[in-house]
Amino acid sequence: MPRAVTGILLLALLAVLVAMPRIAAGEPYVLHVLVLCFVYAIPAVGLNLMLGYTGLVSLGHMAFAGIGAYAAAVMMVDARFGFWSSLALATLAAGAAGVAIGVVCLRFRSHFFMIVTLAFGLVLHSVMNNWDEVTRGAAGFGGIPRPSPIELLGERFSFAPLANFYYLALAAAVVVFALQRLVVRSDIGRVLAAIRQDERLARARGVNALLYKTAVFALGSAIAGFGGVLQVSFLRVAAPASFSLAESINSVLIVIVGGAGSLAGPALGALLFVALPEYLRVASEWRFVIFGVMLVAITLFAPRGLAGVAADLCRRIGGKPPVERP
Amino acid sequence: MTDAILEQTLNGLMMGSIYVLVALGMVLIYGVMQVVNFAHGVLFTAGGYLAHFFYTRVLDSYPLAILLSMVSLAAIGIAIERGIFRPLSGNLRNQVIASLGLILAIENLLVALWGPNALQFKVPTTEMLVSVGELRFSVHHLGIIVITLAMVALLGLFLKFTRFGTAIRATSQSREAAMVVGIPVERVHWSTFAIGTMLAALGGALIGPLFLVFPQMGDVPLVKGLAGILLGGMGSVPGAVVGGMIIGVVESVSTLYLPTDYRDSIAFLAMVAILLARPQGIFGVRMRGED
Repeated sequence: MPRAVTGILLLALLAVLVAMPRIAAGEPYVLHVLVLCFVYAIPAVGLNLMLGYTGLVSLGHMAFAGIGAYAAAVMMVDARFGFWSSLALATLAAGAAGVAIGVVCLRFRSHFFMIVTLAFGLVLHSVMNNWDEVTRGAAGFGGIPRPSPIELLGERFSFAPLANFYYLALAAAVVVFALQRLVVRSDIGRVLAAIRQDERLARARGVNALLYKTAVFALGSAIAGFGGVLQVSFLRVAAPASFSLAESINSVLIVIVGGAGSLAGPALGALLFVALPEYLRVASEWRFVIFGVMLVAITLFAPRGLAGVAADLCRRIGGKPPVERP
Repeated sequence: MTDAILEQTLNGLMMGSIYVLVALGMVLIYGVMQVVNFAHGVLFTAGGYLAHFFYTRVLDSYPLAILLSMVSLAAIGIAIERGIFRPLSGNLRNQVIASLGLILAIENLLVALWGPNALQFKVPTTEMLVSVGELRFSVHHLGIIVITLAMVALLGLFLKFTRFGTAIRATSQSREAAMVVGIPVERVHWSTFAIGTMLAALGGALIGPLFLVFPQMGDVPLVKGLAGILLGGMGSVPGAVVGGMIIGVVESVSTLYLPTDYRDSIAFLAMVAILLARPQGIFGVRMRGED
């Protein structure tokens, strides 16, 4: 697709999303579902950078979202910090945890990396579940406030109404997707792709692979933490179940089904993951059965995910053969 | 105090046996296919549910229900190997992602069929008690340990002395060389998968009566089984047995001294520490740098 067309389509999509509170004025439910989509898509962007672009399959990703979420919860409720400073500090905290844990995990490769990330994910989840004095334990950490009102163009802009929180979530998603594009299209992104394709070769060419992998692990974790703060501020409660192994697997699902290593992948994946079942109204266990089968089917038949299928369709319409990429 | 230690050691050997059953299957599959089957825990759960189903609905014999569950899981294992893992062979990332898909699909299928709540699984062996010194244990506890040791012995003899066992060992040493000497490598793959899922089913069917049957019952055995494999050395069958038993006993005895809330976390962190210090494990054959 020519660049200009992509740009115009993106602007059109953004315009629709900005106008959504007016389009769906009578149906707050639509906004609610879209906010949930953003909340799932943001950590998935972090995982996409790790899994899709660098080839690091982390099985504990949502635990880092949990670090951000609980750090913000403690800061806002116990330490009486404001939302914005808590958001910034909690994102940094998740990134710092990403560095500390990433340094250990990245000493391992392939299976061992996956197993160790899985173990750390379970340990962090267990801490959230059991450290009653700080995290309030399995019952969840309630009473998390929405962001305090800000002055915007001389007017008071409160985040209490759903439509206004929707704008915050939309802005956060736009920032994160823009950041993803910035990283991927930069020299750093090319180095990450080189590491994914052949780490030994990249190292032989003088790339400090461990440094880059640690950096992307930290960035991915920080983005997850950012999404975690947004999630608990939206739901008003931080629950350990939101950051469990099952949720980490869901995050992998979103990235893979959407299209790992594709800029739009996490958005497509989250839309499919959150919005489609709401629309179809299927029972939750059958929804996951279908998603599980879909995940298997995608690895077998469409390894580049929905974004890959869409790209091939566009090329076919344009009369070009589909791209082959392993 | 010694009684408490003895009691926890026996409990630990029982839990360790369950981890060994999970670990053995995973280590065999890893050996011949170089892939960690993360769906092994959910196959363990399926084994528990099927044994429960056969026992309560079909026939009134616990051993036969276990056997039927094992046979069913062997069939499921073959289907998974041929339908999913074989087409994806050589692509580790996609194999792992497909196994995550299997976790989602199978776990939620079980919830859809039997509901999210734990099922009671009452069998006579949990009620029968035997005395060991001052302590009393259920026949079930001891049965789990004995059956596991018997399975380990059988598997060891099978791998060591039968033609097909030799073929499995040859394939796990070198796939190419095995093909050159005429070993049917594909048959080795699906048979190994069937043996592995059968052992997982046995574990699920044995633990169900003690800790109920519920959709997440395989999660902890999966990770503890993995920890056992890593402790023993990735790819080593004796290592998986010793590693699984050590994990079971150490965590059981540690509950006498450490808070139980963090028991699993301590086990996982210890696993990471051991991997960092001695990546090849106790009987190690593979290094962490290998893909």
